[in-house]
Amino acid sequence: MAPIKVDGLTRRYGDVVANDGVTFTVEAGEVFGYLGPNGAGKTTTIRTLMGLQSPTAGTARVLGADVRDERALVAARRRIGYLPASPAFDEGATGREILDLHASLKGDRRRDELLALFDPPLDRKVREYSTGNVQKLGLIQAFVHDPDLVILDEPTSGLDPLMQQRFNEFVREERDAGTTVFFSSHVLSEVRRVCDRVAILRDGRLLTIEDVETLLDRSGKFVRVRLAGDAEAVDLDRNGVHDPQVSTVTGAQLADGADAGTVTEVTFTFTGDVNDLVGAFAGHRLLDLDLQEAPLEDVFMRFYGEGTDA
Amino acid sequence: MLELARFEGRRKLKGALALAVGLSLLAAMDVWVFPSVTASGVDLEQFVEAYPPALRRMMGIEAFGSIEGFLASQLYVFAWLILLGLYLAYSAASLIADDVERGRMDVTLSLPVTRSRVVAEKYLTLLVPVLVVNAVTPVVVSVGVALVGESISLGRLIAVHALSVPYLLATGGIGLLASVAFDRASVAQRVAMGVTFGLYLAESVLAGTDYRQVGLLAPSRYYDPTAILVRGEYDLAGAAILLGMVAVLVGASALWFGRKDVQ
Repeated sequence: MAPIKVDGLTRRYGDVVANDGVTFTVEAGEVFGYLGPNGAGKTTTIRTLMGLQSPTAGTARVLGADVRDERALVAARRRIGYLPASPAFDEGATGREILDLHASLKGDRRRDELLALFDPPLDRKVREYSTGNVQKLGLIQAFVHDPDLVILDEPTSGLDPLMQQRFNEFVREERDAGTTVFFSSHVLSEVRRVCDRVAILRDGRLLTIEDVETLLDRSGKFVRVRLAGDAEAVDLDRNGVHDPQVSTVTGAQLADGADAGTVTEVTFTFTGDVNDLVGAFAGHRLLDLDLQEAPLEDVFMRFYGEGTDA
Repeated sequence: MLELARFEGRRKLKGALALAVGLSLLAAMDVWVFPSVTASGVDLEQFVEAYPPALRRMMGIEAFGSIEGFLASQLYVFAWLILLGLYLAYSAASLIADDVERGRMDVTLSLPVTRSRVVAEKYLTLLVPVLVVNAVTPVVVSVGVALVGESISLGRLIAVHALSVPYLLATGGIGLLASVAFDRASVAQRVAMGVTFGLYLAESVLAGTDYRQVGLLAPSRYYDPTAILVRGEYDLAGAAILLGMVAVLVGASALWFGRKDVQ
């Protein structure tokens, strides 16, 4: 039985279609990324999965429970962990009191282990918590009962880079231990590090479901090269080079202050083989080479067309 | 069971104690001024006779020259029927709406609990202020009355507090329903207080008119501190009706919240 099965899920708010016939299945033991820009409808799907709102049409099952059936869903929630997009807790309670409440209702087998990883100040009131600490408390309560399925809405927002990295490692370990993880993000680089498969949502519609490697191959790298001299001869007409932009500056200064003469800056998005990329600049003197993950918005524009319904 | 109620009820204890202290001070003041008011030689009964009958009824004025009549009007109609009634409506109005508005409900509803259980357990936390206030104040009143050399029937004093419990739970029920109906706590609070006070006014003003049936819906109709303290009449049927109102209001809130989207 698939931990999550979404079937033609549609949700309208008046004229706005937040989810439009979304269909996908998350398999047991995978980390599934739910990717899309802000406002794409990710939170709508997630809150429907948790039974917080009902679908206009279609439905979904989590751990076999239809999200429209409260009794079944309540039973399933014993084995589900959930972190909302902006988790909030009773501000007058301490972190410990909140974890005690969660323990009394769903168990807390993994409390000590999780507290060693994410360590919010348990004896302080939530009112005094920073955003990061609230997020840590949210992560702990999501995993504390050792759930089979964890649903996380933008889990790393509010975490500092060190914590993000710790979280990524943690999610991979969870996956290896058999937990199914479903999480949403609007940052491609975040999902690429931990996800096995990714669904991409835009304007409430599912555009594609891909293995993360396939997606990265298709999304490519943003490349910026600065090289000495006039680069007329750079051969950019090869596979995998998109939207090349070439600009030439004369009399530019190098970092050490020396005159570099003419400098050419080339930018493009590259989806081909890295060896080809290096080959393209053979014989040129490189001043700088910068490769970055292509921004998610560019990925959308490149592969899924702009202006079709935006 | 009751994990949520215990968790939230604990946090209401401090506020309930503060409320009990405040109302005890008010009660002590009423008891303390009573001898000097009666000793001043003013014929209070005659003075309040000059009030229009509707106003006298509204303020529960009867046998105003006795400690029972004085406290019934000055303390129990004013502070219990009106102030505490409104406080319970106000306080209950944030039970659901505030959690929804601040996003706390998402986490609560990720727990393996039904929505109706969330509603019921949150409502139960209202018992904390209701019980604390009604446990502390009668002690202060009975000690105070003895200190000023007056006497009051202990049975009636206990009854006026005990029978206020269903009344206060009913105004809390109005607040709870508003809390489910509106997603913003401030709106729910205003509506709950407006409805509670409006029903009280309608009941008192319309009592002698052809429209008195409107008052049947008002919780204040079924709790009459003056009748209890001055005449020793305990309206147990009224208390049962109030508990029936509670059942209807909490049941309707639970059903409604069970069906609505949490935004």
